[in-house]
Amino acid sequence: MEYKTEEKEAFGRGKVKVLGATFEEGKPEDVKMGKWREKMTNRKEMLKYIETGERYWYSKDWYGSEKRKKPA
Amino acid sequence: MADGKLVSIDKTVEVLLDKMEKDGVESCWDRHLQQEPRCQYGDLGLCCRHCGQGPCQIDPFGGEQQKGVCGATAETIAARHFIRMIAGGAAAHSDHGRGVAEVFLAAAKGEAKGYEIKDEQKLLTMAMDFGVEIGDKSIEEIAVEVGEIALAQFGQQEGELKYIKKAPLKRQELWHKLGVTPRGVDREIVEIMHRTHIGVDNDYKNLLLQGTRAAIGDGWGGSMIATDLQDALFGTPYPVLGRVNLGVLKEDEVNIIIHGHEPLLSELIVVVSQEKEMLDLATSKGAQGINLVGMCCTGNEILMRHGIPVAGDFLQQEIAIATGAAEAVVVDIQCIMPSLPSVADCYHTKVISTSPKAKFPGATHIEFDEHNALNSAKEIVKTAINNFPNRSRNVNIPKESVDLIAGFSYETINYLLGGMFRASCRPLNDNIINGRIRGIAGVVGCNSVRTRHGEGHVEMVKELIKNDVIVLQTGCSAIDCAKAGLMVPEAAGKYAGSGLAEVCETVGIPPVLHMGSCVDNARILIAATAVIKEGGLGDDISEMPVAGAAPEWMSEKAISIGHYFVASGVYTVFGANFPTLGSKKLTKHLFEELEEQIGGMWGFEPDPVKAAQLMIKHIDKKRKALGIDKTRERVLYDMAMRRELEAV
Ligand code: SF4
Repeated sequence: MEYKTEEKEAFGRGKVKVLGATFEEGKPEDVKMGKWREKMTNRKEMLKYIETGERYWYSKDWYGSEKRKKPA
Repeated sequence: MADGKLVSIDKTVEVLLDKMEKDGVESCWDRHLQQEPRCQYGDLGLCCRHCGQGPCQIDPFGGEQQKGVCGATAETIAARHFIRMIAGGAAAHSDHGRGVAEVFLAAAKGEAKGYEIKDEQKLLTMAMDFGVEIGDKSIEEIAVEVGEIALAQFGQQEGELKYIKKAPLKRQELWHKLGVTPRGVDREIVEIMHRTHIGVDNDYKNLLLQGTRAAIGDGWGGSMIATDLQDALFGTPYPVLGRVNLGVLKEDEVNIIIHGHEPLLSELIVVVSQEKEMLDLATSKGAQGINLVGMCCTGNEILMRHGIPVAGDFLQQEIAIATGAAEAVVVDIQCIMPSLPSVADCYHTKVISTSPKAKFPGATHIEFDEHNALNSAKEIVKTAINNFPNRSRNVNIPKESVDLIAGFSYETINYLLGGMFRASCRPLNDNIINGRIRGIAGVVGCNSVRTRHGEGHVEMVKELIKNDVIVLQTGCSAIDCAKAGLMVPEAAGKYAGSGLAEVCETVGIPPVLHMGSCVDNARILIAATAVIKEGGLGDDISEMPVAGAAPEWMSEKAISIGHYFVASGVYTVFGANFPTLGSKKLTKHLFEELEEQIGGMWGFEPDPVKAAQLMIKHIDKKRKALGIDKTRERVLYDMAMRRELEAV
């Protein structure tokens, strides 16, 4: 799709150009649209996603603010 | 009679209160006027009737009456009352959760026809949370183990709830230090009832600690279990297009309104109402189809998962019947006005109760039994269809209805921010750190006749998004903001500040995200925890630029939710009224001292815009403490600017 820019007022820095909407206009019609979990069709894929996408709780080695902490 | 324009910002209320007046039907707003003036002792939390020697009342102006007969002070009386409200709210959420766990277990064992585990992935995460080995086990085998552990969480006597481990580590440590980590969901509620009995716990700070323990048991226990099991059973919500407000009722179809809080029966009614047998029956009665709509949190549940339209919020339940177009109002539990059968008496509507826990004199009772749920659902839909020919000509369906996007579970937000291979909170954290997003607010809760219907939610949320605060919503608060057009992506450009609008437009999300029903406030806790664990915004929720609010609260559940937000480290502002104002010491403890003790604190401000400004001020305070207050003003740094910044 073609990217549109818009001019907006930004806090403390006057007018700035920003990227406009990147979604298609109109209403979604396909009922399956957005059902991202259905992209994973077997348990292996699900477990892999859980370990990466939801690493905050389910990865053995997550990064982030708590990596250096001892368990509570 | 109440004036619709004065009591609500919603045009449907004005139109239908006029109709009710003509039809000679009383509304909650009329009864509200009849109740004035309210008892000031009760309003301020200074009336006790915990034993037969009362009621005892404390004079808030320092007169002679400063202690109850037993010697209880204003602090003791107000604190006992406050934590009993927490107990009531936590019990409501948790008993809902227990009911879901029972159906889940029956479904896993193949004993509940019509139900199946729809979201294997959510089940797997629950299995990991509960320490259930996955291996090559079947979905059903895992679900039985998960269901049994979930059910046992409610009656657990020792140790700590399993979901406590999902909280930020620093928060867990604090809860351990304060001795408020819940042992079991029920136990903490029972202990409140014990400690608030005459002559047991009389220290308001100590009483409040038990309130905190029970509230955590609700947010990080009963409610979280309910949400997760419902997701596993019916599917974790995806973004879905829906419509909201009474204009979703249809002139020529059988209108069935499903009202209450559980998705258990309503999920099956959704299935049954689409069956050919039912559609044929509707046609034979002269209807063009079956129009299923939701109300309150059952409405939110079926909206989130199926895009079923929502007819309205808590305060629209009576006027929905007054349209004269509802063949049936099907109710389960919580927030259902006892007045519904008497309002329905004036029209053809059948009020159908379904829970053995919630019966209504004058209603038709068709009991929901998970082992026979499909048949219960069929009987309900047939009863509604058979009532269609009884509809009179006295029908007025308001035109108002608008689009919304719902279905923002935490999992989906995380996915939307990064996609299948990079799902992450990182873009959210980055945009909070760079200042495009100033902070996060959770605006939730009920409606109350004590505020102008809808105004508190809508004005507060508009003020927040205008100031670049992204808003997460649940419950009737979400319904009200959806009605105001705040839950479509286009709302970002129209109402949000430039920074927030830029982010929303890039991701393609509204600036106000519908996360579900009131038990789903647990989703907000999980989203906040994910942001913390992602890094860069402190080590605990109390360090994040975040605030909570319930500007039109009325239920005990709202008090429990508010207190588990506070206990999780969130500054939480309530509107309408506040139940401890008669005790200065207790109120000071809740509004100020708790921040020192537990990181979060309560606030009270009836003006929604001023309340939003308090939240923004708190968010800015947290930004400053994190050292990211300057980044809101940052453009491209030249060396002079850098030097200037370093010198500050
Ligand atoms: S518990 Fe004490 S304050 Fe309450 S009603 Fe009894 S005597 Fe009065």
